[in-house]
Amino acid sequence: MRVLKNYLIFFFVWGLIAAPLFGEVVKPTYALVGCRIHPVNGTPIDKGTIIIRNGKIEATGPAEKISIPEDAEVIDAKELEAYPGLIDAYTQYFLESTSPSTAQRQSRMMAASPPEERSWDKTGFLVVENLKFKKTTLDSLHRAGITTILVSPPQQIFAGLSALINLNGEKLPAMVLQDKVALHLYFTTARGSYPSSLMGTVALFRQSFYDAQHYDLQKKTFLRYPDKVSRPKYDAFLERLLPYVIEKKPVIFNCANLEDIKRAIRLIEEFDLNGYIAGANEAWRVIEWIKKARRPLLVSVDFKPPITSRYANMGEEIKEKAEKEIYPHNPAELQKEKISFALVSGKISKPGDFLKNVRLAVEAGLPAEEALKALTIIPARYFGVDSYLGSIEPGKIANLILTKGELFTADCQVRRVFVDGLSFEVKTAEAKSTGKAAAVNLSGKWKASLVSQMGTLESTWELTQEGNKVSGMIASEMGNWEISEGTLSGNKLTMVIMANIMGQDMELTFEGEASKDKIRGTISFAGGSAEMTATRIPDAR
Amino acid sequence: MKKIVVLVIVFIGLLLTPGWAGQDLFIKNGTLLTITKGIISGGDILIIDGKIRQIGQDLAPPEGIPVVDATGLYVMPGIIDSHTHIALSGTNEGSVAISSEVRMKDVINAEDTSIYTALTGGVTMVHTMHGSANPIGGENVVLKLKWGKTAEDMYVPYAYRTLKFALGENPKRANMMVVSANPRYPQTRMGVVAIIRREFEKARAYMEEWKRYNQLKKNKKLVSFLLPPRRNLRLEPLVLMMEGKMVARCHTYQADETLEFIKLSKEFGFKIGAFEHAWEAYKIAKELAAEKIGISVFADSWAYKMEAYQGIAYMAAFCAKNGVLVSINSDSGERIRRLFNDAAKTMRYGDLSEEEALKLITINPAIQLGVEKRVGSLEVGKDADIAIFKEHPLSAFTRCEKTIIEGEIYFDRAKYLEEQKKKEQKKKEKAEKKTPKGGLK
Repeated sequence: MRVLKNYLIFFFVWGLIAAPLFGEVVKPTYALVGCRIHPVNGTPIDKGTIIIRNGKIEATGPAEKISIPEDAEVIDAKELEAYPGLIDAYTQYFLESTSPSTAQRQSRMMAASPPEERSWDKTGFLVVENLKFKKTTLDSLHRAGITTILVSPPQQIFAGLSALINLNGEKLPAMVLQDKVALHLYFTTARGSYPSSLMGTVALFRQSFYDAQHYDLQKKTFLRYPDKVSRPKYDAFLERLLPYVIEKKPVIFNCANLEDIKRAIRLIEEFDLNGYIAGANEAWRVIEWIKKARRPLLVSVDFKPPITSRYANMGEEIKEKAEKEIYPHNPAELQKEKISFALVSGKISKPGDFLKNVRLAVEAGLPAEEALKALTIIPARYFGVDSYLGSIEPGKIANLILTKGELFTADCQVRRVFVDGLSFEVKTAEAKSTGKAAAVNLSGKWKASLVSQMGTLESTWELTQEGNKVSGMIASEMGNWEISEGTLSGNKLTMVIMANIMGQDMELTFEGEASKDKIRGTISFAGGSAEMTATRIPDAR
Repeated sequence: MKKIVVLVIVFIGLLLTPGWAGQDLFIKNGTLLTITKGIISGGDILIIDGKIRQIGQDLAPPEGIPVVDATGLYVMPGIIDSHTHIALSGTNEGSVAISSEVRMKDVINAEDTSIYTALTGGVTMVHTMHGSANPIGGENVVLKLKWGKTAEDMYVPYAYRTLKFALGENPKRANMMVVSANPRYPQTRMGVVAIIRREFEKARAYMEEWKRYNQLKKNKKLVSFLLPPRRNLRLEPLVLMMEGKMVARCHTYQADETLEFIKLSKEFGFKIGAFEHAWEAYKIAKELAAEKIGISVFADSWAYKMEAYQGIAYMAAFCAKNGVLVSINSDSGERIRRLFNDAAKTMRYGDLSEEEALKLITINPAIQLGVEKRVGSLEVGKDADIAIFKEHPLSAFTRCEKTIIEGEIYFDRAKYLEEQKKKEQKKKEKAEKKTPKGGLK
């Protein structure tokens, strides 16, 4: 075994070094023998053999019918299950953080210059140019059986273009399947500038799509009648919209709640877009819309009720119950209506949690074979890569996983992953999270007072902490404010608070220190600062 | 023949679709405050398919129809709130002064618990609006409060299309706690009127541009290379207003600028649906009555800012008596459940009659929203939107018992309390199960 391991490492490293020297590299040949094969597009084979050669599946079938080539390294896969590598078609793994730091935001708020024009236009943002690979993330994706991911751009109204990545190592060009998969759109706001409200964002989408149509008409008419029509003024933003509004390339709407789904469908229909619905963990609640629209669905297995949901607004108990007992039924309900969908992680940021939640969806009634399709052939079809990915078939790219125990069962373990025919051993130990760990957990209710020249403002804070990430809500007589970014690094707490003061959106920043029962620090905003102290409200239970 | 079969199938399909027709219900033996047809004691209401079919004494209910016994109770049309901001994801597009392109119907939140709060106070319909941060806000929306149903089920398509305007302190940002680094034009009352006029001038030019285009389009020689104007979603609502297809709802306080806005409406030929808050309306009641422009106001609680200092308790009653169409609004997801209390204040301050006071929260707001043919009073043929009160709705000791929309009961106090009790009981039982009995303490 040890020899085998060394051999594999050698081969892998050699492959990486040799690649630039020889150009096309001949990848190793493997024979996986004795596994149960789940090909996705055919019936499972109990004792099967899969031959992998030069990155592709060469042959697959019952063990007695497949002869093992002489040059193949034989992998004993008895009592293991073989599946196509899983595709998670809506993630943000490896995305280099592009959001401005708190200090940058603050200086921007203070600056006398007007806010950036069209700050919401990131149509020129290419995910493929903003990736930074981390071995730990790669390992945890492999551990969850994921071999292909769609990386979507960070949240922005017009967010940018996603990339489809095959997780075959850490070198970028070799990993990219497609660099400009779809234009991503979010129902979010451009804080501090237009549009600062959801309704403004909907209006902006409509105006922009109308503008793109008009721009296209102008251009085309000019080309036909250059003598009669004046040349349209070049517009970079509209130019970048044309492929999506006119040529109907895919547009992916992030839909955080059921109303977002309807908003997206209305826009898709008004402008005849090639629109995809992503997120959609409340899709079953608008199932008639979904059925009628017949759009590709990237359904997140994040089961937290969205903040607009009534389940999120009638007390903690109902919210938790909904997360455990209601929302996991979403995929099963869609499947019952014969609606096709891909399962994606969406807001879930840990690959392990993703697989765990898919399991919960299966336990809530989604047939396992449908879950498997939703993670393989369906997303492959959605993105036009099903001719070479998404099932175990001769000729397809060798993205495969070997598991102990069937997928979507509680004790299933991914043992080995092949991506582009390269073998990756899966380590079982949890990777350690990066960054300085939080010294305490701040989750719970806090009573805070804010003292400034304007007087004292009392407020109640409700914080949630996961790892060193802090989020929550602040309720005071001035309204409810959201904590958009919070980090507790050791004892040092920093937060960005999105406040709406007299109808105007403002960003406040907090910096201070936290202990188990006390938070103390300074809140800064444009034009001043205030001292904040908070004490924990003891839990009634 | 085939066509007929298809039509029949489609028709049956429509009938089976939930939400297509309202419910059947029989309300028995209540004191009916019809608003427009007097008071009927010991009155019954027969509701079929969500519409009021019959009103009168000793009606015979059809067999099998659900019956609500209103003996000793008061039955009135569902309360209509002419100005609120509930059931929306967002209130202001505050980043710009002119935001007429935004539509509240794009951000309806049917899950807002304020809807249920409103139902507990007998409210069945709301005009839920853009805020007052901008001289020109956005297009408002009228909803029926069908809690548990979808935004589309709640949407009232036959109401006026209305656009929010705002004058005075809010649009000129007088009360911003923090002075913004980028002050927004306008900063004065004259600026507010000026920017609205400027926008209407633009809209007029835009309208002309389209007219010209549509004219030229008829010429077959030109049509191949003729370009339509760029669609401008910000100006289109203003064009609709000048064409009489949309009305203004204008937030205002001071009498002078209220009159100024009337002048503006004449200059550009648009209709004003109502003035909002209008704490100085009593100073110009005659002018408002002459122009047939209504007001949607609070019953009390003035002086919350400088421009609201000249409010008086008699305002609503005084204007009503002087021929102004007055409605009492909540502007809030909380006060919305006490609009009947607010209406009663006009009897104490201004001596309105019971009927006049009730009109302020029923038929008057219905007229302001252009829905008076469908709701606002108990009349045969109208939607069965009904509130049932324990005492007379204008009594200080009353409370709403049931709220009904199109024959369907959306709030039932007794049932709600029963459910709460059961839940408490369940919780208790659970807790008891968890605590081990006996043993050391």
